[in-house]
Amino acid sequence: MARKIVELTEVTKIYEGKVMHRALNRLDFEAEAGEFVAIMGPSGSGKTTLLNLISTIDLPTYGRLAVNGIEPETLNQNDLALFRRRNLGFVFQTINLLQMLTVEENLVLPLTLDRVPVADMKRRIADLADKLSLNDILSRRPDELSGGQAQRTAIGRALIHQPELILADEPTGNLDSKSARDVLELLSKVNRTAGTTIIMVTHDPLAASYCDRVLFIKDGEFFNELYKDEQRRTFFQQILNVLSLLGGNVNDLSSVRLP
Amino acid sequence: MTFRQFAYRNVVRNRRIYAAFFMASAFSVMVFFLYSMLLFHPAMEEGFVQEIASTGMMVAEFILFVFTLFFLFYSMRAFLQARSKEFGILLLLGMARSQLQRLIFLETMLIGGVAIVAGTFLGTVFSKFFLMIVEELIQLPDLPLYFTWKPFALTIGSFASVFIIISLVAPLFIRAGEVYDLLQGESAEQQAYSTTPWRAFAGMALLVLTYTMAVYATNPYVVRIIFVLPAAAVTGTYFFFSDSLPYVIQLFRSRKRLYWRPFWLLSLSEGVVRLKENARMFFIVTMVSTLAFMSVGLLASLTSFANQYRELNPLGLVYKSYPGNVLEQIHVRQLTDELNDKDIDYNVVPFRVLRQKSSFTDKNVSIVRVSSMNALGYTFGYPPIELADGTAMFLPPTDSSFRQLNDRNVRTKLEMSGLTVDISGAYPHQLFPPNAIGSNAIIVTDADFERILSGPDGNSATQFRYYAFNIRDWQETKDVGRALHEDELKSILLSGETGTLFSFGNPGLNYSVIRTTFSLLLFMGLLLAAVLFLAAGSFVYFRLYTTLDRDRRQFAVLRRMGITRKELKKIINRQLLPQFFIPWGVAFVHSAFAFLALQVIWDALAEISIAKELALVLGGFAILQISYFYLIRWRYLSHIRTPE
Repeated sequence: MARKIVELTEVTKIYEGKVMHRALNRLDFEAEAGEFVAIMGPSGSGKTTLLNLISTIDLPTYGRLAVNGIEPETLNQNDLALFRRRNLGFVFQTINLLQMLTVEENLVLPLTLDRVPVADMKRRIADLADKLSLNDILSRRPDELSGGQAQRTAIGRALIHQPELILADEPTGNLDSKSARDVLELLSKVNRTAGTTIIMVTHDPLAASYCDRVLFIKDGEFFNELYKDEQRRTFFQQILNVLSLLGGNVNDLSSVRLP
Repeated sequence: MTFRQFAYRNVVRNRRIYAAFFMASAFSVMVFFLYSMLLFHPAMEEGFVQEIASTGMMVAEFILFVFTLFFLFYSMRAFLQARSKEFGILLLLGMARSQLQRLIFLETMLIGGVAIVAGTFLGTVFSKFFLMIVEELIQLPDLPLYFTWKPFALTIGSFASVFIIISLVAPLFIRAGEVYDLLQGESAEQQAYSTTPWRAFAGMALLVLTYTMAVYATNPYVVRIIFVLPAAAVTGTYFFFSDSLPYVIQLFRSRKRLYWRPFWLLSLSEGVVRLKENARMFFIVTMVSTLAFMSVGLLASLTSFANQYRELNPLGLVYKSYPGNVLEQIHVRQLTDELNDKDIDYNVVPFRVLRQKSSFTDKNVSIVRVSSMNALGYTFGYPPIELADGTAMFLPPTDSSFRQLNDRNVRTKLEMSGLTVDISGAYPHQLFPPNAIGSNAIIVTDADFERILSGPDGNSATQFRYYAFNIRDWQETKDVGRALHEDELKSILLSGETGTLFSFGNPGLNYSVIRTTFSLLLFMGLLLAAVLFLAAGSFVYFRLYTTLDRDRRQFAVLRRMGITRKELKKIINRQLLPQFFIPWGVAFVHSAFAFLALQVIWDALAEISIAKELALVLGGFAILQISYFYLIRWRYLSHIRTPE
């Protein structure tokens, strides 16, 4: 049995406000080291809340949450920030590169915060640039990149400090199908070769079909779970089936794109 | 919701953006109003000081007016650019251009109107306080609070016209392009990365050149370059902000060992963007601050001149009478009578000053007798000096000439009388204003003095008589001898300087005029500088506010990436500090060098140093600026931390 990297036990998250909103309700979830997990569900099902909790930028109202064996509640703000910086990597839908930095500078940003020696940073950039084929665009700025290049840069930034866990929020949401496939293949390659755990929130059944396991949630509660098949095509079909069972909104089912 | 309501709500709900802008406008209205209160004050009609005061007020009002016009113009433009997305939506919804213009007009007039009302109201509230300060400064018996329509009319009229002009012109700033461009909002900032090397170097070179010229300036030379230097400095400063500084940062960015450090990476890259966006604003702020430093420093130095006045003028009153002046005794009697009337203690010592030609220098030398010197010295409490017949002592014309003359030994023959004296040493105290007795004066014994008088041409040896009044309460004498002063002026007007056989000096009066004039000007200058500072600060604040959304998103990314609160603060410090203190620091350096150049002229005028006053003024500005920095950082941090 592999080590558990994320463990949620009966986690409930309630947003207090003018209208009280229960985003997650007694959800159990765990991810083992080296797993590639997708989280799917209709809008408002609590996917992003779940991801925020795992990101440790939000704390559960009830229940136990442990990331890499550490319970975020026991850490103060400072240690949490350091914990995120050293253990987690993030990839977002809106690509969120810092506009005023070049690709290279965006990549080293997390390292500079930890005062890594410059020689080390250069070595890691060289490694990554090869792996992600970023060599030609290192000195460009984010506004001079295509969507795929920008997302590859963002993945590079998430990988550069060799985190154990990568959290991705709709990483292919803004990409054309070719770039989306590149990004997904890249993620699964990282997952296979470096053994990095990846948890990805997505709407896209095709993206989900690249994963080892898909978790479906609805209204903040566990709905279903699918494990990868031999054949990606059949896995994809199964995902579609669950999605149609989930109902939700028609918009949540993106058009079928066969690989 | 009517159209007017819409405009009203736009303003009221954007009040956080408009706050600093509004504050700066209202404050300048207030100061303008206070100035005009003084300008139209019924007690300010006559007298020299009053004239200076009202001219100063007029100049200050004018500067304030022009500056406000520029400030509003520039901020308005920035405001509208920042809101271009909103205007895009309005146009998309089918608003006509003319309606958009009307909207902007209404909004501007709303802010302007409220700012005028608030400023005038605050001005009225503080006017008694203001008049009390001025009363104290110019030592007028009473400046009562008064109300006429004039200051109100001037203030409201001027600012209303400013706001009307601005609101009519402002809509022209909205890019005339497509709705789509407007909807894209402020994304035009990205193209601003390139710098022109030659301009970068030109900026540096110009500044270095100006500074060296200012440092190596000598007196006749300064006057010649005084018109070239400011122009060079202005151009240099502009290039410095638009090109040199970004260029230097670009160079720095290629040095990874220096650049790839925890906070530099973020703050420098952010800094260069801000710099490019705001280069023009930084330039304006720098020039305005330089002007403020300069004027305040100059005025402060004038005040310090006044403080050293007493050392330069140890006597209370002086009366000088040339041979042939029949009114001499009457005038002196008049003065002593006035002093007695006013119960002012005084000692008067008459000097008879002779003139002889010295064989040693071949120039005229003025001669006084030792008993007169000792009599005057006694009233100051100095011990008497002793001289032997045939010896003499230098009477140094200024404090600084004492050291040179003290070590000198000269034997000279006084031509005409044929007397030979050995001159050695110098009188150790300054009892007279500089050069009062003559730039070349000696003290001889009473016997020698009589010998000159009874010698050949003894009758024509008398140069003038000098009545030295030593008065302890010398500032009390400012009303003594007014009639005499007027007589002297009349005589000079009628028969010229040579035909006037007497002169009268009243340091007490001169001092009070100089002091009040300078302190009044200083006070007005400080107020003006405060307005300029507030405006500059409000601009920085506004700029921060317009990019708040972008910054918030950026910090959200950083927060996920794992940045602690402390680190966030550090990054923000490194971003904000340069925006506040680089223009200010450059202005500081500018004015320091300008003062170096001015010191050359000033030193020649009077032997005073302005270092202390300058330190005081700059220190005061520094405190103001630092507190403003903390205020704005506090607001900014709390905005950044709250998610959208």
